Amino acid sequence: MTTQGIHARGLILLAIGIAVVIALPLVVTSSFAIDIFIRILLFSFIGTAWNLMGGYAKQLSLGHAAYFGLGAYTSTILQIDFGISPWIGMIAGGVVAALASLPIGWLCFRLRGPYFTIATIATAQALMLIFLKFRDLAWGAEGTTIPNLGSAPLMMQFETKAAYYYVVLGLLALGLAITWAIERSWMGYYLVAIGEDEDAAEAIGVNAPKIKRDIYLISSFLTALAGTFYIQYIYFIDPPTAFSFNISIEAALVSIVGGIGTLWGPVIGTVLLETTSTLLQSWLGSSIGGVQLTVYSLILMAVILWRPTGLMGMMREAWQRYAKNKPARA
Amino acid sequence: MWETVAQAVINGLLIGGIYALVSIGVTLIFGVVKIVNFAQGEFVMIGMYISFFLANQFGIDPLLSLFVSMPVLFLVGVLIQHFLIRRVLGPNDMPQIFLTFALSLLLLNLALMLFTANYRTVHTSYSDEAFHVAGLYIPVAKLIAFVVAMFLSGALWVFLHTTDLGKAMRAAAQNRDVAMLMGINPNRVFCVALGIALALAGAAGSLLMPFYSAYPFVGQVFTLMAFVAVVMGSLGNVIGALIASLLMGVAESLGIQYVGADSGLIVVFALLLLTLAFKPTGLGGKAR
Repeated sequence: MTTQGIHARGLILLAIGIAVVIALPLVVTSSFAIDIFIRILLFSFIGTAWNLMGGYAKQLSLGHAAYFGLGAYTSTILQIDFGISPWIGMIAGGVVAALASLPIGWLCFRLRGPYFTIATIATAQALMLIFLKFRDLAWGAEGTTIPNLGSAPLMMQFETKAAYYYVVLGLLALGLAITWAIERSWMGYYLVAIGEDEDAAEAIGVNAPKIKRDIYLISSFLTALAGTFYIQYIYFIDPPTAFSFNISIEAALVSIVGGIGTLWGPVIGTVLLETTSTLLQSWLGSSIGGVQLTVYSLILMAVILWRPTGLMGMMREAWQRYAKNKPARA
Repeated sequence: MWETVAQAVINGLLIGGIYALVSIGVTLIFGVVKIVNFAQGEFVMIGMYISFFLANQFGIDPLLSLFVSMPVLFLVGVLIQHFLIRRVLGPNDMPQIFLTFALSLLLLNLALMLFTANYRTVHTSYSDEAFHVAGLYIPVAKLIAFVVAMFLSGALWVFLHTTDLGKAMRAAAQNRDVAMLMGINPNRVFCVALGIALALAGAAGSLLMPFYSAYPFVGQVFTLMAFVAVVMGSLGNVIGALIASLLMGVAESLGIQYVGADSGLIVVFALLLLTLAFKPTGLGGKAR
């Protein structure tokens, strides 16, 4: 098969996929199901944002909740205190998060490997504690509900869940498009070089500190958009929700399980993990705490021990085996 | 005035002794195996539950259950090294970081499933006793915990500096390849390092039990404290981790006294961020 043939097949698959996800809320009308789809799209998007830095450049952050929370709080403060639409607040939140990533990155990038990871956890936790402690800043530990305006698309409030579905679908499309573009740019190659061996990359002239700073900025900006969306979707904000450590964990988890440093890895990882979690919940009920994360951690361990390239790696191997055994066609 | 400060410092030092047991374990594993154990706090949690159940079912004093929790966790450490960590030792960071991280998530959530989120306490005859010295208040249970913690830290230091196995561990920490050339079996040394580190975490759990509640999330704060102490005390350095842990206990306690009851951790994080900003290689050595 020629490269063009693979290309054409990929495009057809992509077109079918796009048609299916766009048509999905028209076919499936159960709000329970759409809620699950929204979760899948949201965490795919957060994973995609994480994957830009964690996957390609292997800067394994466990502190992306910091940017999720900053995005969520920026848009909520603008909306409640100043009446500014969350659509604008979302962009503002992204800008705040991107700006915050500069000093945080300046601190954390002084460390490498596991120490970088620890430092990112500490910054996210510290931000949560600040929002908990300083009541004047933003409602303190009590949090606040978002005033429900009914159907107000200009304020990012919709009557149907399907509308939220399309918003988060748009976010994921944006994240994937940015990843796709970066993958094919010089920056993408620099990122992979840094991820493989930072010292070697620097030795051949890659400005690693600058590249890491830039990708952290983009990754933080995108993560903040997810924060605004999530808070608008659940109509409530408090520090443990906005800066939840689980957000940081899941961002990394879906990417690793799906395939770290691949375009579709975070999406595939999220589909697997969220489907598993939904099945477990319908099977066991949500009465027993800890079941979901127990299963997630077992899946994560299995992937690390047996398939560090994740589901994408498994699929690629399976495809290669199939392609090799298939009788050659002209 | 000075009494309030002195009291806060004493409280901090006493709990700092427990932090030291946890951080010494983290720094030992890092120094020898070059792995950061994200699950260290969860082993403290397991130690606490072991002591809780022994006290609850058989009426065994938590301090005596040290003799159960330490060997059990030593064995767990050896098994974890042999069956899990050994498989991810390589040039790649991702599996190393996320294996122990997954282990931490697993243990925490298993505890949540098995024991529920309830707080468990053990009341001993000395739980409410305290010495009053020069206007200062020194709880007996915390004092015992501190003394035993310091004894165990000292015993570890003696072990590392006088026995063949201890010297082999320090050799492996300094330069793994050369140590292997000298005939040191790395997996055996790594197993012992993991075993000792987890036994120390188990000891911390048992020592905490007379004055602290056991619950599934209890380990997280100890892991965080240990990380901060280990980064501050320069990685892989036992004495550095000990001193940094005591400092952190004091910093946390002063934070609680002067910033607010919920602000102990803010002070600790501020310390970490300041360390990173001004002395990213730790107070004594190189970060990596």
